[in-house]
Order: sequence, then structure tokens, then C-alpha cells
Amino acid sequence: MKTSIILGSLLAATCLGTAASADKLDDIMASGTLRCAVVLDFPPMGSRDADNNPIGFDVDYCNDLAKALGVTAEIVETPFPDRIPALVSGRVDVGVASTSDTLERAKTVGFTIPYFAFTNVVLTREGAGIEKFEDMNGKTVGSVSGTFEGIALEENVKGWGAGEFRPYQSQADVFLALSQGQIDATVVTSTVASSIVESGQYEGLVIKGDAPYPVDYVGLIALRQEYGMLNYLDLFINQQVRSGRYQELYDKWVGGAAPKLTIDNVYR
Amino acid sequence: MFNYTFQWRQALQKLPLLLDGALVTLQIALMSMAMGIVFAVILAVARNSRSTLVSAPATAWVEVSRNTPALFQIYMAHFGLGSFGIHLSPYIALLAGITFNNAGYLAETFRGALRAIPGTQLRAARSLGMPSLQAFRLVIMPQMFRIAFLPTTNQMVWAILMTSLGVTVGMNSDLAGVTQDINVRSFRTFEIFAIAAVIYYLIAKAVTLGARLMAARLFRY
Repeated sequence: MKTSIILGSLLAATCLGTAASADKLDDIMASGTLRCAVVLDFPPMGSRDADNNPIGFDVDYCNDLAKALGVTAEIVETPFPDRIPALVSGRVDVGVASTSDTLERAKTVGFTIPYFAFTNVVLTREGAGIEKFEDMNGKTVGSVSGTFEGIALEENVKGWGAGEFRPYQSQADVFLALSQGQIDATVVTSTVASSIVESGQYEGLVIKGDAPYPVDYVGLIALRQEYGMLNYLDLFINQQVRSGRYQELYDKWVGGAAPKLTIDNVYR
Repeated sequence: MFNYTFQWRQALQKLPLLLDGALVTLQIALMSMAMGIVFAVILAVARNSRSTLVSAPATAWVEVSRNTPALFQIYMAHFGLGSFGIHLSPYIALLAGITFNNAGYLAETFRGALRAIPGTQLRAARSLGMPSLQAFRLVIMPQMFRIAFLPTTNQMVWAILMTSLGVTVGMNSDLAGVTQDINVRSFRTFEIFAIAAVIYYLIAKAVTLGARLMAARLFRY
């Protein structure tokens, strides 16, 4: 009798112990739902179709991840500046949101290996008198607050000592400001630029050459201490490339040869 | 729940930047109040006018400014006017938006204050031989400001808090703009926002206390 009580309580303690040490990966598999933060005003990575359903590279990527985990995906629309609060407050499990892996941010959140890479171009309005990157010197320019290219462009404006930089809260506001003439140019990822010019949603927008920025590698993000999760995500990204799914998704949403995700002469 | 370690040291290093932002916030709030009060007196008097030509535009201003969100007013000043080719910089758009809002709310405060002054005051002043404008300036206005003083400081606090809406039109030099800029670079959202909230609180509190001291000195009987 006594032994069974002791055994029983030991068993209960073990169960509780296991439950308490379950990590994020366990939680996701147990709940059956993977909640992804995706930016939906950033085509072709994330946007909405005519029926208001989320579509795009990042949406498909999240669905693939959920399939690999054997759970259902839930897309949580998250504007660029809200990605980390959403993650830290537990509203989402993972950020599939084109997040540039800066060292400053890595102090706060955990980054995977790169899952995509962007190059940046100059997007301007016809008649704004901008033919190449250097012509932006002295003009009023803008970008989305806190993005890789936004931070780089703000540094450029500071360095030039002329003109003005305006950070907007969403990509849509930047295009609106550009088409109205509030700003003369922006630097934006090439994929977004070509998709917005093609859409014809804003009249008179033209791409004028590349911005001389390093390749913008972006990773998935999860909580910094969730090694199990980050480990799984790294392997998932590796498998996406290995299986050809990465190229397949790139063909579907962008077209051409998918950008290389490795950097020469260094491990990651 | 929160799965997060707070890093206050890293965030507090940004305090000088935040304080610079607080100065810009205070500057915009003060200017918007100064202009708002001027417009509000004009609106309050205009609304009491018997001529519809004068009172109708004033009523429209008060109605729109009081019954639409300040966010909408500021957004319209930047992007709304922008679509007509009128380009206000984020700073000016924010200032214009808040001034518009202040004027509308204060106009109602002042109109209420005017009604609280017995009509006999004006008649007594007129019977002493004062022209009506002089009677308004010397007898009615001082009493109106006395009654409206504390509600006006309310609006001042509100104006300080409204400046935070400037981020939606690309404002990056005020307290909210600086906060957002540091936030997106470092992702230390909670620490930075908490510090900014404390700064907003202290500014607002200082304004309220300052106003109370001023009232005690100004309005001694």
C-alpha cells in the first residue's frame, strides 16, 4: 500500500516534470497548430489574394513547415515592426517574415540559417530626376521603418548630410508616399519592386538600378532560448533546398534562379 | 506567458536619444496648443455668431475635429492632402493635425466658459462706455480663460500624447518616432517602450502640476 503511494507520487512527479520541461517544439506538436508571423503587405513574400486569403512565398513556406511537423498552419498577419512583440508575447511560434539577421537583433531573438536572400534596387517615380542610386543624394527618400534597406538608406542620408529620410510603418505607405510625391525615391528589395511595378497599382513607378548594398540574408526567427525549435528550423531550411522545394517556390513566386544561401569562405 | 529576459542596461544606453525625442514632443505639443488656443477663441466666438456664413464653417471644424480620430486627422494632413499635390512634411502634418484637433476641442471648452459668464457682465461693461470689442477683451476674455484654464491643461496633456501618432506619417524625431526607431533596430521592444511610457508619464505629470501651481498664482482672489 505504502509502496504504491510512493510509486504513484513518483510517477505523478515525473509526469509533471516532463510537462514542465516540454519545449516549444513539443508544445507545437501537442497543440496541433503552428502559428507563423507573416508580413502580408510585402509581395511576393506575403500578400492577400482577391478573396483576402494570405498568399506568397512566406505563406507557402509556413505551410510546408507545418506539414513537416504534422500540424496545421495558422498565418498571423504581422506588420514589420510587430514581429518581435508577437513572438515574445507568445502570439506566434515562429516568424516567417523576411527578417534580416543582424547581430543587434540576434541579441534579442534567435535566427536560423538564411532561408532567403534579397538584393535591393532603387524605386522612384518618373520625372523625379533620379537615374541611379547616387542621384538620391539631397532628395527626400523613405522606406519601411527598421527594415534592412531602411536602416541602410537612413545611414546613407546621414552620410550625405543632405536631403531627408522618412520611415513609414508599412510598405504600402511607402509606395503611397512615393506615388504622391511626398518622397522622391525608396530603396526596396528587387522582388517587391518588380511585383509592385508589374501590378500597376501605383502609376509612374520605375526601377532605376541596383542599390550598392550587401546581399540581405533573412532567417526565420524563434525565441532565442528555444534551441530545439531553432535546430529543427535549420534542418528544415536545409531540406527545403536539398529537396528542390526552395527553387520550386522561387519559380512560383519570383522566377529565375533562386538566390544562393551560402556565403563563401565561412561556416554557418 | 512572457518568455523573455529583460535587458535594461542595453535599453538605458539609448536614454539620451529618447530625451532628445521628448524635447521635440514637448515642442510640437506647445506650438499646437498656442495655435490651437488662438483658433479656438476665434471658433468659439464664430459659433456664437448670428450669421450662418460665419458660424457654419466653425461648426463644421468643431464637429469634424471632435468626432473623428486624431490618427485620421494626422494621416489626412499627410496622405490626404498629398493626393491633391499638397505636400506637408511629417513634422508639419503632425503639427497641423494636432492643432486642428486642439482647436476643435478647446472651442467647445471656451464656448462653455463663455456661457458660464453672466450676460450682465457684458452689459455692465457696455454701460460703463466700453466698446463691445474692448468689453470682450478686458472683461469677458479674462473670466473665460479663468474658467477654461484647467480643462485647457487637460487638452495640453492630450496634445502631448497625440504627438505619438506622428509615426504613422513617417515622423522619426519625436519621442514615439525615436522609440520606434530604436525598437526596430534592436528588437528590445518592451524595455524601450516601458522607458518611453515613463517619459510620457513624467512630462504629462509635470504639465499638470505646473498648471496647478500657475493657476494658484494667477487666479488668487
